[in-house]
This record gives sequence, structure tokens and C-alpha cells, in this order.
Amino acid sequence: MPEHKDILPPKLVKDRGSLHPINHMKDSIMNLLISYGFEVVNGPEIETEEFNFDMLNIKKSHPARQMHDTFYVENKSNLLRTHTSPVQIRGMLEKKPPLAFISGGKVYRKDDDSTHLPMFHQVEGIYVDENVSFAQLKDLIYKIIYSLFGEDVELRFRPSYFPFTEPSAEVDILSTEGKWLEILGCGLVNPIVLENCSIDSNKYSGLAFGLGIERIAMLKHGVTDIREFYKSNLDFLSQFK
Amino acid sequence: MKIAYSHLVQHLEENPSIEQISDSLFQLGHEHEIDGGIFDMEFTPNRGDCLSINGLLRDLAVFYTVASNQDIFTEKLNELLIDFENLSESICTQISFLKLEIDEVPEIYKDSLGDYFLDLSLNKNNFFTDVSNYLSYETGQPTHCYDANTINGKLLFHEIDGDEEFETLLDKKIALTGKNAVFSLNNEVINLAGVVGGKSTSCSANTKTVIVECAFFQPEAIIGKSVKYDIQSEASHKFERGVDPDSHDRVLRRFIKLVNGHANIKDMSITSYKSKDNPITQIPVNVSKINQIIGINISVKEYLSYLSKLGFVIKEGFIKVPSFRSDVKTQNDLAEEVARVIGYDNIAISEISIPKSEKTNHKAIENKLRYFLLDHGFYEVINSPFVSLSSEEAIKVDNPLDSNREYLRTNITNSLIDNLLFNERRQKDSIKLFEISDVYSSSNGINKKRKLSIIASGRVGLNYEDFSKKINKKYLTTLFQEILSNEVFDFEIVSRELLNTKIKNEIVTLEVDIDRFSTDILSYTETAKLPEGFAQYSPISDLPSSFKDISYSIKDYSKTQELQDLLLNYQSDIIKNVYIFDYFKNEKQEEIKIGFRFAFQSKKTTLNSAEIELVYNDIVSQSLRIEGISIPGM
Repeated sequence: MPEHKDILPPKLVKDRGSLHPINHMKDSIMNLLISYGFEVVNGPEIETEEFNFDMLNIKKSHPARQMHDTFYVENKSNLLRTHTSPVQIRGMLEKKPPLAFISGGKVYRKDDDSTHLPMFHQVEGIYVDENVSFAQLKDLIYKIIYSLFGEDVELRFRPSYFPFTEPSAEVDILSTEGKWLEILGCGLVNPIVLENCSIDSNKYSGLAFGLGIERIAMLKHGVTDIREFYKSNLDFLSQFK
Repeated sequence: MKIAYSHLVQHLEENPSIEQISDSLFQLGHEHEIDGGIFDMEFTPNRGDCLSINGLLRDLAVFYTVASNQDIFTEKLNELLIDFENLSESICTQISFLKLEIDEVPEIYKDSLGDYFLDLSLNKNNFFTDVSNYLSYETGQPTHCYDANTINGKLLFHEIDGDEEFETLLDKKIALTGKNAVFSLNNEVINLAGVVGGKSTSCSANTKTVIVECAFFQPEAIIGKSVKYDIQSEASHKFERGVDPDSHDRVLRRFIKLVNGHANIKDMSITSYKSKDNPITQIPVNVSKINQIIGINISVKEYLSYLSKLGFVIKEGFIKVPSFRSDVKTQNDLAEEVARVIGYDNIAISEISIPKSEKTNHKAIENKLRYFLLDHGFYEVINSPFVSLSSEEAIKVDNPLDSNREYLRTNITNSLIDNLLFNERRQKDSIKLFEISDVYSSSNGINKKRKLSIIASGRVGLNYEDFSKKINKKYLTTLFQEILSNEVFDFEIVSRELLNTKIKNEIVTLEVDIDRFSTDILSYTETAKLPEGFAQYSPISDLPSSFKDISYSIKDYSKTQELQDLLLNYQSDIIKNVYIFDYFKNEKQEEIKIGFRFAFQSKKTTLNSAEIELVYNDIVSQSLRIEGISIPGM
């Protein structure tokens, strides 16, 4: 019998939990933006029409305001925010330029199918200062995309439309399969929105951008069905340690 | 909207290829897919003016020379006498009627009308409706055709507010509710304005005399109607996005020309009603502002040249916006026009420098809690706030997706109980979950609280130290005392009586306001490190698992590591995981007892015992080849 009195017991493997992959992705993006100089602002998920729509130049006639697109609560006195943009309105009302805010969190739209959920997550940012230009917006977007997907990724800017930005753009990246995938929306803050927040649009201009967290998380992790994120299945969650 | 390449290219002198036009459209912001020779266009909601051949040509004019071959009827027209009254001029600011009588209904369509149905594989309806549909495709202006013989009274346009029955020309009966802009005849609704016409006055294959209505409706009066009444309507899609209010005369004269190309017109007359002049938008020429917005440096000549090509008129230091571009109102709108023409991707980057914020770590306490829980094996989950259960304080959703999602949750714990049961049904015997979320309630206004909820049940951990320990209140209390020794938390036991489960493990929960945690928690040093990259997800199986335990007796201690290396790294498609659940060193008997638990699960099929035994026997066989190792009882 060999002498092995001092043999060590097996390595004790304590199971470590994991952050939810959506929260982890949201935190990663927000930390990246904080490193660029943005300040975090928070706001309520139950909003007024004024902050969610009116202040953002989304007119009464806009389809997004219809009952089939937006969840209204308490006899239509309030709604579940459809984007995180109202948080930035609150920020702009509280602070004068130059300002650089980001906000992240849950948003709600009346959708429920294999590619859309009634609750999802966004991170949005806004930067208002003198002489902010579309060319500078492009620089920021390149930095964000390169940080997320690497500097080899090919991206393109497409003209788009958002009532709160003008000019507006959507940004796509080229997948390894050769397909263009929409990643984020952005633009220069519509002067009407600045004026709504008592910011002189002749002196100041701003840029804004918004990212859908689920979409980026799906791309980064290779998840093909958005619903997997919200089943709370430990076999799923344990893969993101 | 589907638009044929051939219908565009015939107007472009440079004769560009479909790929060239596709590239031009993308640069201009008009997303599309190409199927054969057809562009399947998806326009942004502000560009209703592009929903036609002519609309796209107006934009493509910045890259190509557009030569239109769309002839119109140019001769003087008689005044149409029609008994019509507009009672809602704020909704319909302008409307025209054209009456045409033909001698024979044509059976064969030719030229652009024929190409439209052939190239887009469309079904024909009746002659006048077909001309109307084509004209909408060509010009973007929807028109509606009434069989003139059915218009036998006073025609009214008005907004009704109340319940009315209406049968569409598609034989669909609709109960109109609330406010609706309609045309009525003899107190009967005959047309849901801007959406769909009625059956009683619609044209048929025999119609030889038609009244064509060409109107401008305020988008606000049309929006949402097609969805509300579940009607697929090309017309409402255009009216919702705004049509050109100044196009009526040209559109109706084009209508005449198209009809005249197919049939002999016996009689025709026209009339127009206009309650007010259409507003004209004029914006001062300010190229330095445009350069500042985009971050470029173009000359005023270059700037105005771009806008001229897009149909803008420059006069006396102002840019007059064309009537079809109701979306352009400001210098920023003009900047977008210029940026589109230059191409967003062709605009050079200018380095941005944002002043650093002094504020950091916005959720320090919350994040510290999360890492603490991670260190102790808890998994973070996110649940939907929509629930079926109501409590007095629950906020009701006015328009829920269904009755199971009618309220906003007033606690997180119930969601976590569902999560726990979900995982227990998947044979998980150690479950620790947490969620941090805002929770809303209503009592004297809307109240928001940010809460942490945790739930735990089953084994403390899946390792040889924790395997036989069960999660209970004491375990969690001890855990939290580690970070907040002065706080007492009210852990609760959830009764399993009302839960649909046979499992007996205690379920322990805690729901607490985040505000309750003091900054003391910030002194906790987490051991967990967040993943640096983003793990690639491997699809999971929902098929049942099977478990096999193997306990070994080891007399030759030196073989312990060899056994671990073999079993913990054993490769098989049907082994989901393996861990050491038992370890005991008996000094007196000079023996180590070590137990391994294997979880078997396939991603393809439910495993049978033979498939499991095959792998199990191989594990046993390989392990017993190690000298000094035995399996008691085998």
C-alpha cells in the first residue's frame, strides 16, 4: 500500500450563477458608453403620452400611438414606455447643454410573435452641444460597432425616419453569411425636440442613437429564438457564465 | 409595395440595370428586396410620396435623366353637375369628381395598363377599377370609382360618430363604430373614406358610366381605420402617409387618357371643390447651416443643384418645397435630402470628443447584490410584468394582449415560483434564482418600487460538500448575514399545497426593496468574474434526463486523480454533465469513497435504458481498468 496520507480531496466545484445575458449585454454596452463620457439617467417604465410621444415630436396621428401598438394603462391616462427616449427628455429638461446621457431598460410594444416580444430592452444615448454634426455621429457609431463586433466588421448607414431625429439613419452590419443585419437607429436630434426641452436649437445641436439589446445579444451569442431569453430555463442561463 | 423594374427603367434615359437602380434606391433610403424583375419596396412612413412609379422617379431624378411618357388629356372639360356637399372640410380640404361614359367595356388592356397587370401578375377586377388601381400605382393618388347609375341622390361627405352598418365592395360587412369619415347617399354609408368603397355603388364588369372621386383626406382621419376594421387597403396606406393635394387635375386627366386608349368616350365632365389653398412651405437658403448639420463643406451651387433635381424650386433666397413633400419643413429636413443625395456612407467621419462625466457607478448597491448572489450559485432571470391575477393595487392594462396578461405584477416572487416549477419539471434539483426589477402599483397614483426577489429550493449545491444539504431558511439567513450582519430579512416558505408538483423540497423566497440595502454591502468582495467575451449558445434539449450514480472505493489513493480525469472528461453525446456528489476519506480503513453523478440527455430523442446502459457500462469498464479501484457491490 503506497503512502498517500496527505492526498488532497477533489477540487470543490461550487456552481457559480450567471447574469441574465440580456442584462449582461445591456451593462456591457452601457459601460462602453460611460467610458466615452456618457452619464446614466433613469426613468419610469410607466410614462405619460407627453413624454413618450409629444415631446419627441411623435404626432397624435402617428401609428405608434394607436391602441394596437402601445400598451395603455389606467384608462389611457398613462402608457408603458415604447422606448427609452422619454428618459432623455427628462434629462434634457433637468440639465442644460453640453450634456451626454444614456438610458437603458425595458420597453413595451404590443407585439408577440417568434421575432417580437411585448417586452424588450433598449439602450439609448443623446449628446447635445454646439455644432454636433452627422459626421461626428458616424464617428461615434463606428466606435460602438467596432467595440461590439470588432474592427473587421463591415457596416453601412441607411437613411431612415424617426420623428425625433432629422436626418435619421439605420445602421447595418454585414454578417458572415453575407446578409446585412440592422443593428441600431440614430440621427441628429430634431430641433423641434430640443426646443420642446427649452434648448436653443439655433445654438445647440445633438445626436441620438438607440440599440435593441435582444437583437445584439442574439447575434453575439448565436441565439436564434428571442423567446429563449425569457423562459428562465437553467440549461439556457447556465451557458452565459 | 411591389414595383416592376421595367416600369421604372422605361422612363430613365441612361437605361440603368436593376442592380444600379437597387443601389440608388438604397442610397436614397428606400429599402427593398428584389424578386425577379420586381422591387418589393418598404418605405419609411414619412415618404408616402414615393408610393408610386412617379414618386420613385422623382427621387431617382438625382441620379438619372427622367423622361416621362405619361400623356394626359389636355382639352377643356365640361363642368360636371353633381349633387354633393362636403360637411367636413377640415378632413377633406379638396375633392374632385370626373364623370365618364364609354360605349363599350374593353376586354383587353394594352400599353402601361396591360403591362401593370401582366408584369405584377395581378388579377383584374372591372375596367374602371382597374384603371383606378393602375393610376394609383403610377401617380400615388388613389381614386374611387362609383357606378354613376347608382348615384341617385345627394352625395355627402361627413364625419359620423356612432354605430353604422357598412358593406364593402369586397362583400365584407363592417360595423362602423366611433368617428369615421364617410361618403353617404340617401342616409346610407357608401364609402369609408380613404379606405374602401361600398358594395351598393361599386362598379361592375358592365359599368359604362363612372364617377371617379379624387380627394385629399387629412391623414389623421384615416390612420388606424384599415387595422381597426381589418381591411387590406392600398388606398388607406397612401392616405395615411399623405398624398399630393395638388395632383387632382393631372391625375383625372391621366385617367381620361388611359380610358380613351381603350374605349370610345361618349361623354365626360369634371368638377372640383377646394375649401382652402394648400399651404406652401418655404425655407431660407442657408448652405452653411446644411454644412454644419451634416459636417461637410459643399458650395451653395452644389447644394441647390441637389434640391432642384428633387423637385424643390429655388426663388429669391427661399427654397419652395413641392406639394408632394409634406415631410420637409426645416433646415434639418433639407440636410437629410442633401445627405441622401451624397450618400450617408460617403460622408467623411469627423472625430467626436464627449466631455467625461463625473458620475459613475449608477447602481453600485444593486450590482454588488447581483455579484454576491452570483457567487452563491444564483441565476438572474427576467420575467414579463404582465399577469392575469389582479390585486387591489394592480395596474390594469387597457388593451392587453389577452386576458392572461391583463395586469402588471405587484410582486416578483410569483414569477419566480413559475420559473422554479418550470425548472423542477426539467428535473433540476438545485434551483436558485433572483430578479431585480421595478414593480408598479396603484394607490393614490402610480407607485414604483425597485425590488430584489430571490427564490431557492432543493440542494444547496451540486458538489460533494453541498449535495446532501437542503436549502432552507437558515441557509439563506446565514448567507445574507455574510454581507449584512445587522439586517434581518424575512425569508418566507412557499406552501406547495396549491402548486401542481409532487416535489417536497422547501421553497424559500425573499422579496425586498432595493432601498433596504445599505452601503455596507459595498464592502463585499466578489469572487465571481464576469465573462470577458460572449459565450456561443448551444441549443438546449427539452427531452427528459436520466441520472446514474457510480460510487467507487479507492485503496490506492494515487489513482484518485486518474479516476477523476477519466470520468469528469468522459465524452459522450448523451452525457449532459457529470459531477462528484460524494467524497469521504476513511483514514482508519485507508479507503477513499467517491461518488459521481452522470446526467444523460439527448438533443434528438428520448433515451431508452439500453442506450444509457451502453454508455454507463463503458464508463464502468474503463474506470475499473484503473488498478486499486473498485465499485462496491459490483
